[in-house]
Amino acid sequence: MTDVAVSVRNLRKSFGALEVLKGVSLEAREGDVISILGASGSGKSTMLRCINMLEIPDDGEVTIGGETIALKKTRRGVQPADGRQVDRIRSEVAMVFQSFNLWSHMTILENVIEAPIHVQGRDKAVAHDEGMALLEKVGIADKAKHYPSHLSGGQQQRAAIARALAMRPRVMLFDEPTSALDPELVGEVLRVMRSLAEEGRTMLVVTHEMGFARDVSNRVMYLHQGVVECEGEPQAMFANPESERFRQFISSHR
Amino acid sequence: MDLAFMGRTFLTLIEGVPLLLELAGLSLTIGAAFALLLATMRLSGVAVLDWTAQSYIFVFRGTPLLVQIFLIYYGLGQFRPALQDIGLWWFFREPFYCAVFALTLNTAAYAAEIFRGGLLSVPHGQIEAAKACGMSRLQRFRRITLPIAVRQALPAYGNEIILMVKATSLASVITLMEVTGLAHRLIAQSFRAVEVFVVAGAIYLFINFVVTRVILAVEWRLSPHLRRAPDVEAPMKPAPAHARGA
Repeated sequence: MTDVAVSVRNLRKSFGALEVLKGVSLEAREGDVISILGASGSGKSTMLRCINMLEIPDDGEVTIGGETIALKKTRRGVQPADGRQVDRIRSEVAMVFQSFNLWSHMTILENVIEAPIHVQGRDKAVAHDEGMALLEKVGIADKAKHYPSHLSGGQQQRAAIARALAMRPRVMLFDEPTSALDPELVGEVLRVMRSLAEEGRTMLVVTHEMGFARDVSNRVMYLHQGVVECEGEPQAMFANPESERFRQFISSHR
Repeated sequence: MDLAFMGRTFLTLIEGVPLLLELAGLSLTIGAAFALLLATMRLSGVAVLDWTAQSYIFVFRGTPLLVQIFLIYYGLGQFRPALQDIGLWWFFREPFYCAVFALTLNTAAYAAEIFRGGLLSVPHGQIEAAKACGMSRLQRFRRITLPIAVRQALPAYGNEIILMVKATSLASVITLMEVTGLAHRLIAQSFRAVEVFVVAGAIYLFINFVVTRVILAVEWRLSPHLRRAPDVEAPMKPAPAHARGA
């Protein structure tokens, strides 16, 4: 049996009176590529953001590589018990955002080597060479000295993926990585993500790309109003949806 | 216009420039540090700190610098025994220190709001990306928030620098012989206000010309991302196989 990379147990999260997550659980083994689907407002992004504590869950447990993130109840709600533990775990869990979020004042290469050098304390020359190799891999090595504003959306997202890879993460979180892209740019990003999946990287992908969910991921999870409506192997789920809601969802996303 | 007289006037007034630069330089440096503190207080989310900083900014922006200088130099002078008791008289006895003090407090109030605007303009997503890769609070501030905020605040802060160069002229009212102070004395001796003030004005104009150029140069250096993309150095390489089609 392979090791569990991420385990999420009984996650709950409310924003004011709105309960976004009503007890969601998930387990990803090393090498799993899990697509998380759901209508907007179903809580899929919130769940992903709870994994690296960009949102602090009100209740539940997040365990990365066997280490559970310690949370404590305070007067201002639930908070991480140890900020340094959160920072350390975040450096093992890379995230790719819908809106890229590259640092605008740094070149593409500087974006890629920032965390390896300043967070993980890696040697500059090593980080530099690795960064260039990663930019090569995502096909934008010629843009290394450009700034994010000089790149197209697809190139920026590929740079953001290289930035995430540079941290040698245990798990990669993708939060709707193609939703902000023009249709003709979606393909180049999906191709890079597919190649990562083929390398055996552990990926949790919130997406609306049904093709990716069906063909690339080895598990699909469908959220509806803060609960897991159904999950399983993509072939079975898409060919023969058990849930009526999921059937409607995929037919409306064709 | 008596050009020979203006030439002599220039040589006299130029002696006030070092004092002018000291006043502006010192108060801007200390004021900027203080302003950063005030701006972070405003953004701390702690009501007491926010409120304290807000009141401070309200008072120092809402009253004339001239009044502040008078109050600090002459006003505090009335409390000499008390100041001597707490060992601060040596400071408030000196017009130079009083002028630097007043200028610092004043510029800090304005710069605090400029810095706050800069800090608020940093896109939330970029800070989130910094969090997501495990940067500590301090690292995030130093590596991401501050560099972006500085770039945003620079044009407005350039204005503040220019205003401060001119504001040093008010130090002349508490006996400091910077450019305006020297000009006053020269007029009292020669009764030739026009020539003297034209020369004095020209000196300020020149200093601010240099200041403007320096600010522009710094802005240019800090904003390569707003300019055209650099020319591609290496010839375009074909994308690797897995990025082209899998």
